[in-house]
Amino acid sequence: MRFKARSFDDSRVILDIRDLTVSLEGAPEAPPVVNQISLKIRNGETACLVGESGSGKSVTALSVMGLLPRGALRVTGGEILLDGTNLLALGPHAMREMRAKRISMVFQEPMTALNPVMRVGDQIEEVLDTHVRLSAREKRSRVLDILKQVHLPDVERIYSSYPHQLSGGQRQRIMIAMALVLEPQLLIADEPTTALDVTTQKQILSLIAELQEKHGTAVLFITHDMGVVAEIADTVHVMKQGELVEHAPVQKLLSEPADEYTKRLLRSVPSLVPRPPRPVNGAGDALSVKGLQKIYTSRAIFSRTPPVHAAEDVSFSITKGRTLGIVGESGSGKSTVARCVMRLIDPTDGKIEVAGKEFAHLSRRALRPHRKHIQIVFQDPYRSLNPRWTVGESLIEGPLNCGQDRKTALARATELLALVGLPEDALGRYPHQFSGGQRQRIAIARAIAMEPDVLVADEAVSALDVSVQAQVLQLLEELQQKLGIAILFITHDLRVAAQICDDVAVMQRGRIVEYGTAQDVLTSPKHPYTRALIEAAPGRFWDFANFREVSAA
Amino acid sequence: MTAAPQPISRLQWMLGTLSLPRSWRSGLGPIIAAVVLAAIVLTAIFAPLIAPHDPLTMNTVQRLKGPSEIYPLGTDAYGRDLFSRIVTGGRISLFIGIGAALVSVFIGLIIGLVSGFFRLADAIIMRLMDSLMAIPSILLAIALVSLNGPSIWSVMAAITIPEIPRVVRLVRSVVLSAREEPYVEAAIALGTSMPKILWRHLMPNTLAPLTVQGTYICASAILTEAILSFLGAGVSTEIPTWGNIMAEGRVYFQIKPSLIFWPGLMLSLCILSINLLGDTARDVLDPRLKKREA
Repeated sequence: MRFKARSFDDSRVILDIRDLTVSLEGAPEAPPVVNQISLKIRNGETACLVGESGSGKSVTALSVMGLLPRGALRVTGGEILLDGTNLLALGPHAMREMRAKRISMVFQEPMTALNPVMRVGDQIEEVLDTHVRLSAREKRSRVLDILKQVHLPDVERIYSSYPHQLSGGQRQRIMIAMALVLEPQLLIADEPTTALDVTTQKQILSLIAELQEKHGTAVLFITHDMGVVAEIADTVHVMKQGELVEHAPVQKLLSEPADEYTKRLLRSVPSLVPRPPRPVNGAGDALSVKGLQKIYTSRAIFSRTPPVHAAEDVSFSITKGRTLGIVGESGSGKSTVARCVMRLIDPTDGKIEVAGKEFAHLSRRALRPHRKHIQIVFQDPYRSLNPRWTVGESLIEGPLNCGQDRKTALARATELLALVGLPEDALGRYPHQFSGGQRQRIAIARAIAMEPDVLVADEAVSALDVSVQAQVLQLLEELQQKLGIAILFITHDLRVAAQICDDVAVMQRGRIVEYGTAQDVLTSPKHPYTRALIEAAPGRFWDFANFREVSAA
Repeated sequence: MTAAPQPISRLQWMLGTLSLPRSWRSGLGPIIAAVVLAAIVLTAIFAPLIAPHDPLTMNTVQRLKGPSEIYPLGTDAYGRDLFSRIVTGGRISLFIGIGAALVSVFIGLIIGLVSGFFRLADAIIMRLMDSLMAIPSILLAIALVSLNGPSIWSVMAAITIPEIPRVVRLVRSVVLSAREEPYVEAAIALGTSMPKILWRHLMPNTLAPLTVQGTYICASAILTEAILSFLGAGVSTEIPTWGNIMAEGRVYFQIKPSLIFWPGLMLSLCILSINLLGDTARDVLDPRLKKREA
């Protein structure tokens, strides 16, 4: 059991939100975005605010910071007390003093939150300049000190680096340093590790915990990831459509959730334990890749950058009706492999056979009639459908290219919609009228319309909320059973891979370092990198869906 | 390689050079502009019905007369009716303006789409466009007119050719960012042919910036035509245009300033209202810009 089990009953209350209501400006009839929520955070406590997208977690955080978008959202009720001071009653100037000095925030995307044209050291100094008077030497030593505290190596060099010279994890450390340099009483972290790889995420989480211990800061941690909650929270507040449905100490909430919604949320969290293996069906290979290479060479005349091996000697195969997962962190080359297999980019070398047809060296034109054998579903459901086309038009684009007539194609599109669980009238509507999960269903329907042998899912569920993710995974599974498609599933999420894949290939720096059945790779990993990945998966000791420890299963 | 500016910032930069005061763009401004422009266009279309006299008939007895019931704005140095000449001159000016805008937008769109999508073509096309951009448009006009003789067509060509590279760059930058969209890649995976992807997936993205760009080309073409005619390098002097009415009036400017004032006023009103409508179109078509300004 590794939950935090500290008691804060006698600690001072730092943040006290009472009946906070936030409404849409200019729409008095619309339901409030945040509806009468109350929560308390005590000194040294980490409170996690969890919920799916649109539940109002970020709006709550922005209200505390006084950063609600002006003209769009407004606090219409309740009060926010920071150590006894009502923040809502403060003017803009007083509120600016509060920010950074007493409350500070770490955002999700460390690249956009830092100024790209300013050295990071100067950016941290700027915070000091705005709020305290210090001599140049004191400032510098204070900045170097906080950089050391967030465990950055070679702080002198980092001090004079620009954001683009640092890795994502280092940038997030800079953000944390910037947030903590004035020793605020309250730190708000809005999905601070969502954009990071699991191994980096693990380091950042332990860094936040360590600094909190040291400085006694109260932390409001916003996340959608139950694994992260299990790792970091003292208490958990669950939000649903602007309302706080349940709050409890972390262990109690994860083992005995009281509210129906919390239960449903926890049940949707995919387990890290691989699903029972399916029998090998002995069918032929739908996709086979041998010795695939993709090397990026710089074509500039004067600068000599060494060639980048995005994929090196990658070989795998998938039989019909089975799923191969390619897992790895960002930059491992998994998406390069997917795009090469799709021939969206041209591989440098190697063989790609789709449904018995050699794909790797066909010209684009010669390839076109064969494209229908392999289809792709992308990560971002908001960009993968043409916003100017109706769903119907998007669905029949492929069949029309194959020479089907419009009427047959439309009739088929209606069937497909039913197959992916969408109403028939969706045909005439536009993508913006659908939610992310529904759009991903449409994208799947569009791919299936071609009756492909192979479906490539490139992080196809990564942008979705867990409950929607579970539904889409189930849809893929059903379609696979009905149609016997082979699925190449690209993901960074080991939990998802464990739930849908028969076989798993782990990629690191363009190479497959481990390849085997999901059972073997995920339960008895051989390669140190695979082991590191599995160990970094947050909350892996807890079986969320069954509200118990993994070892108890 | 030519650096590919972001469509929005590029648009902003281009339009910034021609922008009008912000306060004119809201409220009544665009409506007045639309009414003025509609009036100018309608008078140009129905010029033969409106003009009380033949704009070309000379009458040596009535030289340089002031406004009267027969000649509403007076007559010029050859005794031709100024009002009829201005009304008729609007036809040529507007024809050249709209024609140059349509032709340069159309040609630029096609070249820009190809250039944005095909890397190899891009390298060649963009160098060609760079060299076209280096030719000053007035110089090109004078060269064309001295080669082919003064005509509407050589003026139109002289105005259109230098505009094309600007449209190409705009379209190319939009295509460069749009072709990375997953829905375009999905279309490739679905086996959609390249011309179809260009026309049905990518082209619609360029329509909004092109509408805006088109209005500015139209305004600047009308102005360039007037400049060319004024310099004597434009449409032949037998055909009245706002530019050559002013050019002829220049000689008698001190005796009769209205020879320059009235065509100049029409020219200014016309260009002002087109620009104002262009700015409004930009604000409406790109809500992001509007938000940033607020």
